[in-house]
Amino acid sequence: MEDYKFLFKIVLVGNAGVGKTCLVRRFTQGLFPPGQGATIGVDFMIKTVEVEGEKIKLQIWDTAGQERFRSITQSYYRSAHALILVYDISCQPTFDCLPDWLREIQEYANIKVLKILVGNKTDRHDREIPTEVGHYFAKQHEMYFLETSAKEAENVERLFYEIAAELIDQARSKDGSSAATTAAQRQTDSGSIGLGFSSLSAKAAQSNCCSGLGLGNNDNASGTVGSNNTSQGG
Amino acid sequence: MDFQKGISDWDVSTSEKVDEALVRLAQEEELANARLETLLTHQCQIEAKMSGIGRAMATLLAVESDSKNLNAQIVNTAKLAESVSAKVRRLDLARCRASECQQRVHDLIDLQLCSQGVVKAISDGEEDYEKGAAHIARFLAMDQQLLQRTADDVQGSFTSVSDAVRTLEEATEKMQTQISRRFDEAVDNDDLASVERFFKIYPLVGCHGIGIEKFSNYICKKLSVKAQKELRNALDIAKAERRLQLAYADRLTAILENFARVVEVNQPIIEACYGVASPYLLDMIKILQRECDLEVKNLLLEFNKNRQIQYRIQQIKESTQRSSGSGSASSNIQSLGHYRKPSGGSVDKLNPKEIDAIIAEITVMHSRVELYFRFMRRRVQANAEACMTEKEAQKEILDSYNNIIIKSDLSRQMQEILSTYLLFERYFMEESVLKAIALDTFEAGQTCSSMVDDVFFILRKSIRRSFSTQSINGTCAVINNAASSLDGDFVNALKTPLKNGYPSGYIDLAQAYNAIQTTLQQGKLQSSDADRGRANFLVQLNNADISTEYIETLWQTMEQEIAGTFPNMSSVERQLLDSCLTELKNVRDALKATVDFGMQQLRSSAIKPRLNPWVDQFLNYSHYLTEEELAKYEAGETFVQFLIVQLDGLLTTFKSSLSPRNYDALVSILATEVTLRLERAIKKSTFNRLGGLVLDQEVRALGTYLTGATSWSVRDKMTRLSQIATLLNLEKVSELSEYWNPESSNDMPSWRLTPNEIRTILTLRTDFRMEDIKRLQL
Repeated sequence: MEDYKFLFKIVLVGNAGVGKTCLVRRFTQGLFPPGQGATIGVDFMIKTVEVEGEKIKLQIWDTAGQERFRSITQSYYRSAHALILVYDISCQPTFDCLPDWLREIQEYANIKVLKILVGNKTDRHDREIPTEVGHYFAKQHEMYFLETSAKEAENVERLFYEIAAELIDQARSKDGSSAATTAAQRQTDSGSIGLGFSSLSAKAAQSNCCSGLGLGNNDNASGTVGSNNTSQGG
Repeated sequence: MDFQKGISDWDVSTSEKVDEALVRLAQEEELANARLETLLTHQCQIEAKMSGIGRAMATLLAVESDSKNLNAQIVNTAKLAESVSAKVRRLDLARCRASECQQRVHDLIDLQLCSQGVVKAISDGEEDYEKGAAHIARFLAMDQQLLQRTADDVQGSFTSVSDAVRTLEEATEKMQTQISRRFDEAVDNDDLASVERFFKIYPLVGCHGIGIEKFSNYICKKLSVKAQKELRNALDIAKAERRLQLAYADRLTAILENFARVVEVNQPIIEACYGVASPYLLDMIKILQRECDLEVKNLLLEFNKNRQIQYRIQQIKESTQRSSGSGSASSNIQSLGHYRKPSGGSVDKLNPKEIDAIIAEITVMHSRVELYFRFMRRRVQANAEACMTEKEAQKEILDSYNNIIIKSDLSRQMQEILSTYLLFERYFMEESVLKAIALDTFEAGQTCSSMVDDVFFILRKSIRRSFSTQSINGTCAVINNAASSLDGDFVNALKTPLKNGYPSGYIDLAQAYNAIQTTLQQGKLQSSDADRGRANFLVQLNNADISTEYIETLWQTMEQEIAGTFPNMSSVERQLLDSCLTELKNVRDALKATVDFGMQQLRSSAIKPRLNPWVDQFLNYSHYLTEEELAKYEAGETFVQFLIVQLDGLLTTFKSSLSPRNYDALVSILATEVTLRLERAIKKSTFNRLGGLVLDQEVRALGTYLTGATSWSVRDKMTRLSQIATLLNLEKVSELSEYWNPESSNDMPSWRLTPNEIRTILTLRTDFRMEDIKRLQL
């Protein structure tokens, strides 16, 4: 079981009750446990996935959203390869807090960290944040954007698989450049990461078109993720 | 018939044939006679059998009649048995009814007694509540519906059952109100004995829930008064006990101990008096927990006020904001403390030492609460095991207690205080690390400076302290923070001087080194910036090297200590901790990269510039020697002697000031550079036979020197050069074939030179003919 090519750490953050734990459970166990209690501190799950023919071990850190756990959760930002920032599309305050979260990410996380904005609970009918608003915010802050529903298992697989694919690309390009990267080199590297983001945003825009067509199409979209990625990888 | 048919078939036309037929007939007659005789011999046997059968027939008839008799008898017996068992069954039923009846009679008698007794017992004169309650308990134990039916059955008799029932029902009600009244009175009078007396009576009159509730509330009230008094005097008590630093942790301990004691004392009473039908202990704990939450809340309010927690949090937040603000202004320097900033901003800065004691106090508080929860959980489990036999029901009780814990205000407050702890601990750690870096001192004779020991001491202290919170989440966070502090501030501090490069100056390195050492010893700072820069460069290089070892040790010790501190970790918790520890270990890679980076700097600024002129001296010597010139050359200072003296001088300056591993790495780099440069010099020169001989000797001498200078193998780096020397030392070009075949000589390592290179090198020998070289089969 221990033969994997890459190990990536993914940390989920966002206000309390936006569905971080449900997203993780849905992805790792295929469950949607209703009436989930608040997470205490951090929880930790592992799932091995196969992307582009490589075995990838994903370490998923599910953090508590409440303020009083902030000093615990902050300490995990530094080692994260990807940060998933989650809000609830039916709850304006969770969206309003995003700038605070970004400030925190900027303070504690690695500058190269891959950031993904996720609007969860698309199954809800009392939507308060339109897709375009979320998309615009993500674009502004150089984040990948996706809307999901942990309850309906919509876009959840896709979210994690695309992160894995993106992280593989990053890891490969880093391997190619130089073995011993100094701090100075890392700084200049961040420029090329910026390019990566723009391609991501383009991809995000594409995904938006799909979700704009209707709910039924999303399943198809997530089904073709693998092929999308391979073509993008080349 | 067969016979006639047979005869008619026979041919009797001739006399011979008639004779023949006759003979045949005679034969057949004989055969028939023989057969008849054998049949006759069987006759008597058959007759004997027949007579036997005849006898048996008679016996069988007797058997038949017997079995008919038996059958009739069995049928009779069965009938009898059935009728008997029906009687038994009826008898049993009758007995049951009789005993039921007896029970009812007993009940009725008891009812009568109880109704009389209870009236007497609760009459104002006697006030024997135990007796009255016992009567009522007896009454409540009776089947109320049955009583009602009995009352209906015996309607009109002298002793009206319904009267008694009514009396008892009234008495129960009266008793309940009276006990409640008396209980309240006892509470008002603070009469503990009476309170406990009535607490035990409650279950007798069927008011389990009310009893638990009233008693718990009474206890809460008592504990609340006690806690308030103690809290007022918290500091005085602590002063008297000389534990001022832990005043609030001690108070918290006292509060929790009080609650734990209540549960411990009352668990047997509840189990004995209230029965095991339902987990009454849990009901009590639920009420007590509410009070506990309240008292801890008051305590923490006092704690926050007295220890100025909010003010300090504010200070810490401001200082981190300020530094991150300035950090973003000055691009990539993520400074977090005043040690790296101009001193102007550090007026109201919080000294990490100030919060050291508070951090310790918080960890004690947090661990006490963990201990309290663990104790209560054990009690609840014991109670559950006493009440329930089914494992699932037990688990349900335990789960509902865990739910109480999770929802309790106490847990929430502990989460908040843990958050404060982590904030303080991080500040303490980061500031102390920065302080250690800022106050870095170097003592002569050491290869490392004080900051390595100091930094790792601080980290170990912080991580160890996090264990004492008994919180895995807290421990993980502190380990993460330690890793980020190492990876950030510490690695930066090591790297900054390395980034500036190794300052090259006019003064010889040995002098520079001695100069910095003497100035440090004398406390004077006279030497130039370059001297200090050089010394600092080497010290930081050594620091980085030794840190890779320290980090391994830190990781190992912490792993062991964690296993000792948390023996009952779940697998998820173990993975959580392992993952955080791995993160700590990964900082080693950053440190190794730092060492490599420093070594490269050393190569480009200290080794190459000095080495090149020395090696280039090779070009000044003639390699075209006569016997006479050779003797003269060997008598004087040869090139290799000169080179070795220079190299030795260079290495000696570093040997004392570099850590063994760094020194070895340096020699390795030196060997690479020398061989590369010398190879280039050789290719620029031409040789005759004796010149080649000298070169071969000199290369050997150099190899011996370099091999002796380090424990690492540098022979490998010399291979190419030795092979070049071997080529140039050949007698004839054709001699090469002896060396070229790798199979023929085992002691010769495989060739590092390509055939083309070999040809080029051979042309350097002026006495070798071009045609010979070209003709070589390689």
